[in-house]
Amino acid sequence: MQMNDSQRIPAPRQKVWAALNDPDVLKQCIPGCQSLDMSSPTEMTATVVFKVGPVKATFGGKVTLSDLDPPNGYRISGEGSGGVAGFAKGGATVRLEAESPDVTILHYEVDAQIGGKLAQLGGRLIDSTAKKLAGEFFASFGKVVGGAEVA
Amino acid sequence: MNDMTPTREQRTAVLEGMGCKRKRVEDIRFTQGKGTYVDDVKLPGMLHGDFVRSPHPHARVKSINSDEALKVPGVLAVITAETLKTVNLAWMPTLAGDVQMVLADGKVLFQNQEVAFVVATDRYAADDGINKVVVEYEPLPPLVDPFKAMDADAPMLREDLAGKTTGAHGPRKHHNHIFEWTVGDKDLTDAAFRKAEVTIKEMISYHRTHPSPLETCQCLCSFDKIKGELTIWGTFQAPHVIRTVVALIAKIPEQKIHVIAPDIGGGFGNKVGAYPGYICAAVASIVTGKPVKWVEDRIENLTSTSFARDYHMTAEIAATKEGKVTGLRVHVLADHGAFDACADPSKWPAGFFNIVTGSYDFPTAHLAVDGVYTNKAPGGVAYRCSFRVTEAAYCIERAMDILAQKLGMDPAELRLKNFIKPEQFPYHSALGWEYDSGDYATAMRKMMESVDYAGLRKQQAEKRAAFKRGETREIMGLGVSFFTEIVGAGPSKNCDILGIAMFDSCEIRMHPTGAGIARMGTKSQGQGHETTWAQIIATEIGIPADNIMVEEGNTDTAPYGLGTYGSRSTPVAGAAIAMAARKIRAKAQMIAAYKLEVHEDDLEWDIDGFRVKGLPEKTMSMKDICWAAYNSVPPGMEPGLEAVSYYDPPNMTYPFGAYICVMDIDVDTGVYKVRRFYALDDCGTRINPMIIEGQVHGGLTEAFAIAMGQEIRYDDEGNVVTGSFMDFFMPTAVEAPHWETDFTVTPSPHHPIGAKGVGESPNVGGVPAFSNAVNDAFSFLGSTHIQMPHDFWRNWRAAKELGVFV
Repeated sequence: MQMNDSQRIPAPRQKVWAALNDPDVLKQCIPGCQSLDMSSPTEMTATVVFKVGPVKATFGGKVTLSDLDPPNGYRISGEGSGGVAGFAKGGATVRLEAESPDVTILHYEVDAQIGGKLAQLGGRLIDSTAKKLAGEFFASFGKVVGGAEVA
Repeated sequence: MNDMTPTREQRTAVLEGMGCKRKRVEDIRFTQGKGTYVDDVKLPGMLHGDFVRSPHPHARVKSINSDEALKVPGVLAVITAETLKTVNLAWMPTLAGDVQMVLADGKVLFQNQEVAFVVATDRYAADDGINKVVVEYEPLPPLVDPFKAMDADAPMLREDLAGKTTGAHGPRKHHNHIFEWTVGDKDLTDAAFRKAEVTIKEMISYHRTHPSPLETCQCLCSFDKIKGELTIWGTFQAPHVIRTVVALIAKIPEQKIHVIAPDIGGGFGNKVGAYPGYICAAVASIVTGKPVKWVEDRIENLTSTSFARDYHMTAEIAATKEGKVTGLRVHVLADHGAFDACADPSKWPAGFFNIVTGSYDFPTAHLAVDGVYTNKAPGGVAYRCSFRVTEAAYCIERAMDILAQKLGMDPAELRLKNFIKPEQFPYHSALGWEYDSGDYATAMRKMMESVDYAGLRKQQAEKRAAFKRGETREIMGLGVSFFTEIVGAGPSKNCDILGIAMFDSCEIRMHPTGAGIARMGTKSQGQGHETTWAQIIATEIGIPADNIMVEEGNTDTAPYGLGTYGSRSTPVAGAAIAMAARKIRAKAQMIAAYKLEVHEDDLEWDIDGFRVKGLPEKTMSMKDICWAAYNSVPPGMEPGLEAVSYYDPPNMTYPFGAYICVMDIDVDTGVYKVRRFYALDDCGTRINPMIIEGQVHGGLTEAFAIAMGQEIRYDDEGNVVTGSFMDFFMPTAVEAPHWETDFTVTPSPHHPIGAKGVGESPNVGGVPAFSNAVNDAFSFLGSTHIQMPHDFWRNWRAAKELGVFV
């Protein structure tokens, strides 16, 4: 499953970049995120409640940041297991483009794979669910980062 | 005689014997919710087991930690392969001569494979326990595409077989190869192709699907430590085979194993095999000393116990310009999944696929089947068909249509030209079978007249012209199918399961008041045996069917038999019933002769008793003979009236039929409408026409499901994505078309009552009829073969690929 999109954020690129590396911001924006702890500047452990169609499960897993190119972008990837619900892995390549000193365009390319019961039952829903979750993440992210600027 | 004396017709009618549309006696309890299925059996202190299953299709199992699971209230035990190794049951033999992991031993080889068995006081606690078992996996690359199984760089799936160059069915060519099975004369067939005026070649896939009975597989095991006895209630199509297999692998003396198959909610081949759930429940009962129940849920049923089909068949036909077939060459790539657990007679790794010459007089043929391992669930059961016969029928019936298209001939005409003729029976096929009887052309012509075949073709031509003129967006297809089944496995000379010859049996015990009980080696899963078996006895010995109770499924009381699948019950057990009944009648004749004070030879059988030849008023009814058998037998004769017969059939039986499907497809949406479906079946002597009709309706509905959408599909990562009825097509009365049934009668010459079996014919003949209809509809747009299943989306895609729209 793959998708591309972009999000316009009313904040300077440097600020967006800092937020992308801030576990508190990420925790606030990842839909269903229960906890997100940084174990090193590029590694985090996360607990996320994930729901696809009839399957709802708590996923525990690792989140890794790579290809860091401040403040232009990075790759964020993760994999997690939801026990009997199955597993998920995937990532997003994020690129920040400064439209103006105060506005940043965040481009993202997401790829994701799911396995186990999630795929068996949720297969037909996974694309739309992933789009919805990615949309939710970047919308909250825009609000948290851009909203703070307004305030 | 007076007016009160019943007429011969009345005496016959009261028996409700063969040929009578007797209402199903079992339906009295089924329709009132009073059946007893495995899940209805509840024992005091009963525990429940359920599986931890692998989310990965291929992975190494690095560790299994049960500590947290055992803390869940109600969880009593977590069984793993390590536990099973202590009783030498981590692996079990399959019916196909392979071995299968009962619980993951070092590796998992398909998604939803059984990894650990959690035993708890109730099902909810077991499920909670499953959530707490922590399994650490190291994912390995999955092998999903069977066509890549034998690539040089394909991952090795079965490390337990590493280095083994020979399997249960001969040499292995590759680490993922299971067997190669060849039949026929290769040189002669190759020569026929070299000389052929016309040839066709097509890769015809019969996709993976699943029998999906409404009641899933389940069992209840209870081990009595004091007596050392194991009782198993289970959804078993072959209870005696299960008893013997348990005796062999669990080393419990066979008399101490009691297998009971109560009412079964559909089998369709799904309930022939032995599954990890049975072994785990039995071991759990032995370990805990308590009864343990295992009941599959729907996802588990669809994704782990016994898929069907998954045959990729490359068919070639050689023919003359006039359309006379001269040779058939077929290669099959058979995807068996992770373990070869096909439920075929042991010597037949591809079942009876060599019936692939069908109803046609092929002078020569050659068949090769390669079985391969992939990261998919094991199985390969005969889903409402005799062993691999529906695959064979689909292959030849599609290939004949493709040949007709190439020759520009009508498909019905091509078939009529190549049929085996009535005078050729018994017919020896190029691939080794002896067909018992048939009158194919008569059946085909009756079908063509009944539906006005010529008129339909005319209509189709008009509709195609209108389509080309842009006046309609609907295309019309006629799907002709003429199948020959091979059922009634089978003769001990060529059929056995794990060395057990495939006979079947019947024991009849008559009671003094003119009633009786018949016990069988077969096991109904909905076929209506309690109704039809009694009808055979009624006709044979003149006791009303209502006075005969039929009992099946308890290995302690039933005579040994091989069970019900592959349409074998009527051809094999049906014969045993007639033979046992005739033994009863022979003794009855001696008793009647004594009571009527005549010689036995002076008696003749008359509907419901004996009468003295020439003195029609001097009679003795079977009812009275039953009384006499217990109370006043001839001097020197033992009292009682009972008989048992074990029947080893001399040959298979070969039912056949002519089907046609008339279908309209909207090219812009792919939506199809089955306008008409006509099925003519010849199953030899007809025991109960109403039950036959019901069987045909059911089999056609399953054929409709398979051809038009039902599928077990895996994605590229090895996820099975059709794990529920949301995605796995299960037609109801809403989707199912209206069925028209018809028949001819060509009795089997070697069967005591001439019956051939019918339960699976409609699935065998139905699938090609549907698929041929879709293919026939699209053929004028330039397509040769469109793979099944033909759901709306695929029809739409086919139209798009043919350039019908942009």
